[in-house]
Amino acid sequence: MSGFRHGQGRLGDATLHFSFDGKPMLGRAGDTVASALLANGVEVVGRSFKYHRPRGVTSSGPEETGALVTIGAGGKADPNARATMEPLTQGLEVFSQNCFPSPKFDLMSINGLAGAVLPGSLFSAGFYYKTFMWPAALWYKFYEPSIRAAAGMGTPPKVADPDIYDRIQSFCDLAVVGGGCAGLAAALSAAQSGLRVVMFDEHNDLGGQLLNEVNNQANADLEQWRVNTIAALYAAGNVKVLTRTVCWGRFDGNTLAAHQSVDGKVRQNYHKVQAKKIIIAAGAIERPLVFGNNDKPNVMLASGARRMLNHYGIATGKMLAVFTNNDSAYQTAFDYIDAGIKVSALVDSRQYPSQELLDGCASRGISVHTQAVVTQAKGWQAVRSIEIADLAANGERVSNRRRVECDVLAHSGGWTPQVQMASHGGKPPIYDKKIAAFIVDDQAPDTYSVGAAEGENGLLVCVAQGVEAAKAACALLGKEAGPVALPPQERAGATNIVPLWSVPAKGKQWVDIQHDVTAADVVQSHQEGFVSVEHLKRYTTLGMANDQGRTSNVNALAIMAKCRGISIAQAGTTRFRAPIAPVSMGGFGGREVGQYFKPVRRTPMQEWHENAGAVFVQAGMYMRPQYYPQAGETIDDAYERETAHVRQKVGICDVTSLGKIEIVGPDAAEFLDRVYINMFSTLKVGKARYGVMLREDGIVYDDGTTSRFADDRFFMTTTTAKAGPVMAYLERCLEIDWPELKVRVSSVSERWGAMAVAGPNARATLTAAFPSVDFSNEAFPFMGVVHAEHNGAKMVLLRISFSGEMAFEVYAESEHATDIWQTIIDAGKAYDIVPYGLETLGALRIEKGHVTGAELDGRVTLGDVHMDGMASKKKWFVGKNLKDREGMVHPDRPQLVGLKSVDPRTPISTGSILVNDANASAGADKQGWVSSMTYSPELGSFIALGFLRGGKERIGQRIYAAYPVKGITVEVEVVSNHFVDPTNERVKG
Amino acid sequence: MLRINCPYCGEREHSEFTYGEDATRTTPDNDAPMEQWNTFVYERINPAGEHLEYWHHAFGCRAWLKVQRNTLTHDISWVGLPHENPQVQS
Repeated sequence: MSGFRHGQGRLGDATLHFSFDGKPMLGRAGDTVASALLANGVEVVGRSFKYHRPRGVTSSGPEETGALVTIGAGGKADPNARATMEPLTQGLEVFSQNCFPSPKFDLMSINGLAGAVLPGSLFSAGFYYKTFMWPAALWYKFYEPSIRAAAGMGTPPKVADPDIYDRIQSFCDLAVVGGGCAGLAAALSAAQSGLRVVMFDEHNDLGGQLLNEVNNQANADLEQWRVNTIAALYAAGNVKVLTRTVCWGRFDGNTLAAHQSVDGKVRQNYHKVQAKKIIIAAGAIERPLVFGNNDKPNVMLASGARRMLNHYGIATGKMLAVFTNNDSAYQTAFDYIDAGIKVSALVDSRQYPSQELLDGCASRGISVHTQAVVTQAKGWQAVRSIEIADLAANGERVSNRRRVECDVLAHSGGWTPQVQMASHGGKPPIYDKKIAAFIVDDQAPDTYSVGAAEGENGLLVCVAQGVEAAKAACALLGKEAGPVALPPQERAGATNIVPLWSVPAKGKQWVDIQHDVTAADVVQSHQEGFVSVEHLKRYTTLGMANDQGRTSNVNALAIMAKCRGISIAQAGTTRFRAPIAPVSMGGFGGREVGQYFKPVRRTPMQEWHENAGAVFVQAGMYMRPQYYPQAGETIDDAYERETAHVRQKVGICDVTSLGKIEIVGPDAAEFLDRVYINMFSTLKVGKARYGVMLREDGIVYDDGTTSRFADDRFFMTTTTAKAGPVMAYLERCLEIDWPELKVRVSSVSERWGAMAVAGPNARATLTAAFPSVDFSNEAFPFMGVVHAEHNGAKMVLLRISFSGEMAFEVYAESEHATDIWQTIIDAGKAYDIVPYGLETLGALRIEKGHVTGAELDGRVTLGDVHMDGMASKKKWFVGKNLKDREGMVHPDRPQLVGLKSVDPRTPISTGSILVNDANASAGADKQGWVSSMTYSPELGSFIALGFLRGGKERIGQRIYAAYPVKGITVEVEVVSNHFVDPTNERVKG
Repeated sequence: MLRINCPYCGEREHSEFTYGEDATRTTPDNDAPMEQWNTFVYERINPAGEHLEYWHHAFGCRAWLKVQRNTLTHDISWVGLPHENPQVQS
C-alpha cells in the first residue's frame, strides 16, 4: 500500500461502504472512486490496454489515464469509467479491467515483456496494419483471437441496460462551459443581467483548480470566495447549474451537447442546449512528462496528487518526489511537506527555477535537483524509487545517475488548455510558445474563450477575463452584467515552463498511457514515413482511447516535430471532434428504446386482427396482418390457403396503410394532369382511374388509383411506402412550381380505414352487407365509385382490383371501420369469406402481374414495366421531357416479365440474378434480376416477377435465376407477367 | 443545430424540416429542348458560401420555404416564402 487517509480535506464524515473486485472497502461521502481506492491503499487498479501493464490512479480529474474501472454489475455495468470522475456511493460495486485473474497478478502482462524482447512486438506502432499483411489463414487462427483476448478495456454488459435515460432540450441566453474560477465569475456576473444562464461542470464539486488549494485557516478567505460565489449562483433564479455534466460538443447555431449524470430513477440526462452566447471556461489540464516507466502506479500528475491531499484528504504516499519542467508542481511539494509528509526530492529539468521557489524549498528542507531529470520510475509494480540524472545543457543526454527513495512521484510537464470546445467552432488550434501548448483564438461575437482554456494561469486574471466576457456577451444581448468581487488572494501566474518533451534515456516512455503508445512508437511511425499529424495518430492509435488525447497530444506532436526537424507550430495539430469525453449511448437514445424506438401505426381494425389470431408484420411504420394461421398451419400453409380461397370464394384484406390524399379546387383536374402521365381531366365524376407518376428525370415515381368525387374534388391513393413523400411532393408542386393553380391537397390517410373485398363472391358478400347499394355491373361497373352510408358511417366504395379478381375497396370513416369490417365478415359468412394478410395480398398481385415497390424501385422507366402506352401525348406532365432519352428507351433495358420455376416446387429467391448460362459467373452474364416471388396455388408452381433483357420477346425461353451468395441456381421459364386472367375478364365480371 | 425561422411558426430546430432542393434553378418551359431539361435536372452549381435552397416544414406547418444558408458556416441569414427573395445587401 502507498496511499492512505490523511486528513479531512473538504469531505464530510459519513462513511460509505463499497467493494473493489468483491473486496469490501470503506470510503467517505464526497470521495470519488479513485480517492476511495487510494484511501484503501490500492495501487494497482487495472491493467493497460495492450501490454497489460499495471496501472493506478494518475490524476484527480477527467485527464485520468490509469484508473479505468467498471462501475456496477449486470445491466447497470458501466465499463471504462474514469475512477476520478465517479462519485462514491453507498454499496457501489467497482471492478478492475483487462486483467486475469487479478490486477496485481495478471497472466497477460507477458505482452509487455514480449514487446521488449521481440523485434517489432505484437502491438508496436502500426500493428493494426502490419498484422493484416500476414497470411490470412494465420490471422483468423491465431492473431485475431489472441489480440482479442489480450487487448481491450472493460467488457460491455451482455444484458439490456435497465436504467432510464432522458433527453432534455433547453434554451438559454448564455452558456458557461466550466465551473472553475473563470466560469464561476462569468456566470455570477451574467446572472446579474437577468438573462438566462446555464453553467456546466463535469465535476461533482465546483471551483476547478481552487479545489487543489489546501483548506486551512490561511486560505479561509479564498475558500469563502469559492463557496459564496457558488451559493450566489444557486440562489439566482435565472441560473441553472449543472454539475457532473460533461459538455462534450459544440455544434452549428451555438448548440451545446452535454451528458449529465444524476442519481435517481433516471441515470443520465442528455442536454441539448441552444445558447445565444457561449463562454468557454474549460480550464487546462496538466500533462505528463515522458520518462521511463512513467505509467507505473503511484506516478501521478502533480496537480492530481495535490487535490487528493487538499480536497479528499488522501496522502498519495508516505514519501513524495516531484519532477517538473515548470513552476506549478512546487506547490504540491510544499503542501505535502507542510502536511507532514516527507518529500525526498524535487527534480527540475530547468537550469534556473525562480529564487522564490528555491527559497520555499530551502525553508522546508526539500532537496532540489536543477537541470536534472527522472530517467525512470522503479518498483515491481508500483513506484518504490526513482532514478534521476543530470541533464546536459543541450538536453540530449544525461549523466550522474542516482537513486532517490519515494513511493509516489508527482510530475508536471506543463498545462494544456482545454481547447476542444473552442476548436469545434472550426478554428484551428495554434501553438503558443509561452505556455508550450495550443490555444484557439475564438473570441466574440458568439463565443468567448477565457481563463486557463485560453492559456492564462493567474487566478485573478482568469476571474477578470470571465467577468469581462460575461459583460461583453450580455451587452450584445442588450443587458448589463454585474460586478464580481475579486478573490482575496492571488494564485500562481506564469508557470515559466521550459519544455522537456522526452527524457533522453532508455526505457519504456509512455506518451499515450491509456492507449499504450510509447515515445518509441512515435519515432518509429516517423521512420516508417508518416509525416502528418493525422497519419501519426492513425498509425500509432495515439489519442484514440477514451481521454481522446487530452494528455498525450502535445507531447506526441512535439516528439514528432523533433524527428522531422520542424517546430511544433509547423507540425500543427489535428482539430478536435465531438465528443470530447466518453458519453453513454443511452443518453442519445433517451426514452426512444425498445418498442419506443420508432412510432408504430396501427389500423382501426388492429384489435379485430389480433382476436382473429393474425400474425403481424411491420410494413413501413404500420403493423399489418401478415397471415391468419389456422391450427397447425405454417406461414406457407396459411398464405397458400388464403390465396386459393380468394380466387375460389372471397376474402377481405386490411389496406388502410395506403396513402390517401384529397385534392380539391377548381384546378384540381389540371393539377392531376400535370403530375400523372395519363389524363385525369377527362375522368368522369363517380369513376376511378389508375395513374402513374414520373420523377422529373423520367423514372417511375409512384402509382395508385385516383377517383373523382366531384368536378373539383379528387381522392388519390398512393403506395404505402410513398404516402409521405408523395404528399410532400404535391405540396411542393403547388407552392413552388405552380402557385397559380387553385388547388389544395390534404392528407386523409388517417381519416379512412380501408379494406379490399376480393373474389368471385365479393359482389354477393357486399350486397348482403350493404343492401342499400346496388352492386350490379350496370350500376357499379369496374372502376366505378359509389358513396354510401351504413349505420351512420360514411363509406366510399371503389370497384378496383389489385388481385385480379372481382374486387371492391371499401373506405370507411376510421372510427366506424371495424364495424364496417365486421358487417362484411358477418354478411360474408354465407359466402365463405376469410380474412387474408399481406402475404396473400402479395401472392395475388404477383399472379396478376401488378407492380409494386419491389418493381418500382427508382430505376425503372415506363417502358420497363410496359406502361409507355399510358403516357398521354396530348398534354405535358412531370417527367415527359426526359423520359424518352436514349438510355431510357434503349431496347437492351431489362423489362418486366413473369418467371416460372421449371421444377414447380423449387422457389425462386427474390434478388436472384437472371443468367443465360447456369455455369457462367453472374457478373459476366447478367440478363436481369428477380424482384418478387411467391408460390401460386392457381398455377401450382413457384412464380416470380423480374426484369429481363429482351423482355417479352423471350417468353418461352428457359434461363436461370442465380443466387451466388447462397449458391442457389434455379432453372426458370420466361412467361408473361400476367399469370392469371390476362384478359381482365374476372375483374369486369 | 441549425435554427430556421419559419415565417408561419417562428424559429424552430432544423429537425422539424426536411431539405428539399436547390432554389436557384429556373424550371425550363414545358416545351423546352431535352438538353435544357437535362441541365436543369442534373447540373448544380454547388457554391461555397451563400446559397438559396428550399426546405419543407414537414413536422410543422408543412409550408415549403426558401432559405438562404451559407454552405461554409451553415449560417442561415434569411428565410422566406418560395417566391420571395432576400434583399441584396448594398
